[in-house]
Amino acid sequence: MRFLKVLLVIGIAFGQDVERKPDRVINILAERFTYNPSRITVKQGELVEFVLSSDDTDHGFKIPAAGIDVAIPQQGRGEARVRFVAKEKGTFGFECSRACGAGHHLMRGTLVVR
Amino acid sequence: MVNIGRLIFAAIALCLAPVVFAQSPSEIERRVAELEEKMRLIDPAFGKETSGKDLLTRLDQLETKLNGILAAKAPQSAPVAAASVVAGPVVPAQGPALTPVSVTGDYQASPTGETRLPVAGYMDFHANKESGDPFRPDFHRFVLLFGHSFSDRIKFWSEVEIEHALVEGGEETGEVAVEQAYLDFFVKPYFNLRAGMLLTPMGIVNERHEPPSFNGVERPFVETLIIPTTWRELGFGITGDLGKGFRYRTYLTSSLDASRFNAEGGISEGKTSGFDASLRNPAKVGRLEFAGVRRLTLGTSFYSGHAGFNTPGVNPGVTIAETDSRYSFRRFDLRALFANTWVTRAGQLNRRIQQQTGVNPNVASQMRGYYLEPAFHVLPRRARNDLIAFVRYERYNTQQSMPAGYVPLPQFDRFSWVTGITFKPNADVAIKFDYNFNRNNSSVVRTPNGINLGVGWWF
Repeated sequence: MRFLKVLLVIGIAFGQDVERKPDRVINILAERFTYNPSRITVKQGELVEFVLSSDDTDHGFKIPAAGIDVAIPQQGRGEARVRFVAKEKGTFGFECSRACGAGHHLMRGTLVVR
Repeated sequence: MVNIGRLIFAAIALCLAPVVFAQSPSEIERRVAELEEKMRLIDPAFGKETSGKDLLTRLDQLETKLNGILAAKAPQSAPVAAASVVAGPVVPAQGPALTPVSVTGDYQASPTGETRLPVAGYMDFHANKESGDPFRPDFHRFVLLFGHSFSDRIKFWSEVEIEHALVEGGEETGEVAVEQAYLDFFVKPYFNLRAGMLLTPMGIVNERHEPPSFNGVERPFVETLIIPTTWRELGFGITGDLGKGFRYRTYLTSSLDASRFNAEGGISEGKTSGFDASLRNPAKVGRLEFAGVRRLTLGTSFYSGHAGFNTPGVNPGVTIAETDSRYSFRRFDLRALFANTWVTRAGQLNRRIQQQTGVNPNVASQMRGYYLEPAFHVLPRRARNDLIAFVRYERYNTQQSMPAGYVPLPQFDRFSWVTGITFKPNADVAIKFDYNFNRNNSSVVRTPNGINLGVGWWF
């Protein structure tokens, strides 16, 4: 049984979903001290891709529920892309995980899976 | 763990099995190379040198690495992870709500569930010159920010500042100050608790004052004289995101100290900064922001409190109403702010302070200021460097309206044109130059013009 589990890990993580076209691509712009949009709604079961860019300094993007924690490169230095499968309905927070200024803790958002 | 490692190895082999039989050796090598690339997304240090190694050796290395990762995660999250993986997108009921699939681009993975933020900070070096005076260099601000996440719901944030490079006991030099130090308790997106030393949520610059985030070497006059900066008080309150781009902060804080109000600076010297503060009559302050449209932020703030804890017998009320906006469209930026301050019992306050100090502070009953700042990005927004040309018109009067029996002094009805450039070789480094044309309504007292040079950086 564990063998099957591990097989699925590899298959999912390195296989089908990496190469599958995402069901939704959402562009998120980060700047001191907001994400735009800061409230995102997706459908259950969707393969979602966030394209994250910054209008100023480096920011972080962390979804504790997913174990995702990435750095968004500063303005003019590219973008970060995060893919995940929204498996369960619910409301999940995301936040900046890299110190970005005086209002760092204001930089939060909400992901709603319906 | 050894068994898991073997299983992983077997899994990789099985994953590759169809490939082995169906595809050419070069195709297999390409897929293994892809797996190695993906492993380097998790650990950039994972070996890049593959020449001379056969596929079996490279698979051994992948297996060893995966074993290490699983071992590191085993005490906290292995059972959950296993369940999540089984569920995958195929069996939704058994897994975690969100399953990460891939992360690409320039990123860093968090090694643990706890976020330990590194020390961050900003520095600000200025050289200022007023008409007829030499340049005066000043290491204006040296600020360090520290934070800690006790958990995903309880977080600490702080900002400690040294101003003017030197602090010496008993002499008038710089200052060491705690600009903010508070705990956040995140409860719901729309309702969170905050307590400690708080930045007063008023205006643009007070909460957003990193040198690369505003034009001009010095902060706007209106956000210095009409709205104190950096204005922080002890207090507690609630914050939250209301959805559709709206968010708010509302606090009860220590009050302003009216004994330090004066004619030239209005209420700006009255901030207690948490020292010798009073919560006898806590002030109420709130801010509502809309950031629901990309590159547009609209904000409005309101402050109300009594400030008489150091002026016995007189307890003047202070009310501030403020509105501001920031907007960027292609290469154009626009900032605007308007603030009005009311001080009740200003006449009694002037008499009380005169009794205490012998000097009539000539505090006004109303102060007003606004500014408008268009700016143009000379270089395209996606360029690695940024060059911004700006002009800011500011009008600020700390004696907009006087109490009965007091006359406004025209030199405090001022306006300024501040024009200059900001060059950013990096988004976190700003080299600034500006020229200030300062005027007032007095025919006797002149406000000198100024040239400012500065470099500021955030890290």
